[in-house]
Amino acid sequence: MKTVMKTIDQVLGWVLMVLMAVMVLDVTWQVITRFVLSAPSSLTEEIARFLLVWIGLLGAAYAFRVRAHLGLDLLTEALPPKAKWRTEVAVNVICFAFAAVVMVFGGSKLVALTLDLQQLSPALQVPMGYIYTVIPLSGILICLFAVDHILQGKMPEHDDDLPVA
Amino acid sequence: MEISILVLVLSFVILLALNVPIAISIGVSTLLTMLFTIDFEPAMMTVAQRMAGGINSFALLAIPFFILSGILMGRGGIAHRLIEFAKVFFGMLPGGLAFVNVISCTLFGAISGSAVAATSAVGGFMVPAMTKEGYDRGFSAAVTVTASTSGLLIPPSNVLIVYSLASGGVSIAALFIAGYIPGLLLMLGLMVVCGIWAKIKGYPVGDRIPLRESIRKTIDAIPSLLLIIIVIGGIVAGYFTATEASVIAVLYSLILSVLFYREVKVKELPSILIKSVETTAIVMLLIGTSSAMSWVMSYENIPQAISSALIALSDNPYVILLTINFILLVVGIFMDMTPAVLIFTPIFLPVVTELGMSPLHFGIMIVLNLCIGLCTPPVGSVLFVGCGIAKTTIAKIFKPLLPMYAAMFVVLMLVTFVPAFSEALPRLFGLYE
Repeated sequence: MKTVMKTIDQVLGWVLMVLMAVMVLDVTWQVITRFVLSAPSSLTEEIARFLLVWIGLLGAAYAFRVRAHLGLDLLTEALPPKAKWRTEVAVNVICFAFAAVVMVFGGSKLVALTLDLQQLSPALQVPMGYIYTVIPLSGILICLFAVDHILQGKMPEHDDDLPVA
Repeated sequence: MEISILVLVLSFVILLALNVPIAISIGVSTLLTMLFTIDFEPAMMTVAQRMAGGINSFALLAIPFFILSGILMGRGGIAHRLIEFAKVFFGMLPGGLAFVNVISCTLFGAISGSAVAATSAVGGFMVPAMTKEGYDRGFSAAVTVTASTSGLLIPPSNVLIVYSLASGGVSIAALFIAGYIPGLLLMLGLMVVCGIWAKIKGYPVGDRIPLRESIRKTIDAIPSLLLIIIVIGGIVAGYFTATEASVIAVLYSLILSVLFYREVKVKELPSILIKSVETTAIVMLLIGTSSAMSWVMSYENIPQAISSALIALSDNPYVILLTINFILLVVGIFMDMTPAVLIFTPIFLPVVTELGMSPLHFGIMIVLNLCIGLCTPPVGSVLFVGCGIAKTTIAKIFKPLLPMYAAMFVVLMLVTFVPAFSEALPRLFGLYE
């Protein structure tokens, strides 16, 4: 179980890193085609948007894994360790429920519906259903991580120097 | 309709208190509220669709790229170059190091787009330097923390891009240029406080730097400052879009930090990429679930309800604007900037536009207002990082923070009630009529 989770973490990290690098290259290419070749590519914009959706939602699972999402720890920090752990379990249960209901269940329905309607993206002509598969995929990962956090008996530590604000 | 507002607010507050991630709290309360009027299956699918659909925007691409270039600049050794640059001009004044700190934090915050990054990068150098010269540690930390937020108003600024989305499409170029005067006013306000404080405490006069060294230090800082000129100049001149500018910023900072200053090694790039993904994803999940929330709010006519309640409260625009500012200050004390902008823009924007305030002006006001919250306990990300970096406590930093809050509040009032501070520059550049 431990090695499986570790492999998932690593694969997720690498996939996200590659997606980010590809997104930088893609938009760079868009700038080059517009300014240097003065023949703007019509595909790069759509590719970049879809990459962002994938990075945003898969990355959301990653951020959940490393406990990076913004929260309000004002009240829970004041609790004694045992009670604090109970709230951590509750948080993971709530995140599990949201991911399972909305992302896995609702997301799969959305994928099935858009595939059924044969909705295609305007430029690439890719079925939109494929793009939306990231929703259930990220949902499954969040569920998996939530269970793992509870089984581990502790939350992963997170460093504070997040350049968010 | 009233019961749906109650469910939305109550469930959200309970989830927040439990320390459920804000983005997930927004999603859960949205779903619960929807279930009053919509069937289970379409409700789920709508939230899922909004989560992906809310992110699917070309303008939002500027956010991950500015985050990435900010991290590259942060690790690329520009902090101490900006500090040396600021010393050339302000080091020799009484309390000179405090001024240098304010200016470096503002510049770094503007370039990196992150107040947290500015606090840790500049504060890491400046607080020890100021302590060595006899400055009080709490004061040095307070200066760093407050000055770092002024960079959030000075472009490039991710939170202004988020506002552009939340407001339904105020021009990013106009917002960027609108942020300059309020950002610089904030910086000036803090410098005034520093000057008075330094006079009272008799803080030392810094060294005057010889001309030759001054020139060298200025030249050394130029490549870092050039980023602002290229990126903002290009956007304002209409030469490229914010997204295109952001990817240019990535390439520029990559070349600068890896090849020119040589402070970032190629083997560090993967960890920089993953850090940028992490920060991006935090913002994107917030945008995704808030887009579901604003959908349900408008479906339930919640903004109209709040808007008519506020207008019923008083017909005096000053009273309403003060009330909104007060609510936002309280929100800012408990909530980070991005979620607060995403949640409260759709609620308050219809009210203020009814009073004749432009969406552009409101955007600058809400961001400036929430800057104060970043520096207040109990929930202030910048404040905590500042205390950590300065190795001081909230108790010790609090007293010197008080006059700085006052300065920030004065600037907030000026920006709230004088539209020209936000609107004159965009109008001058023809970005706003």
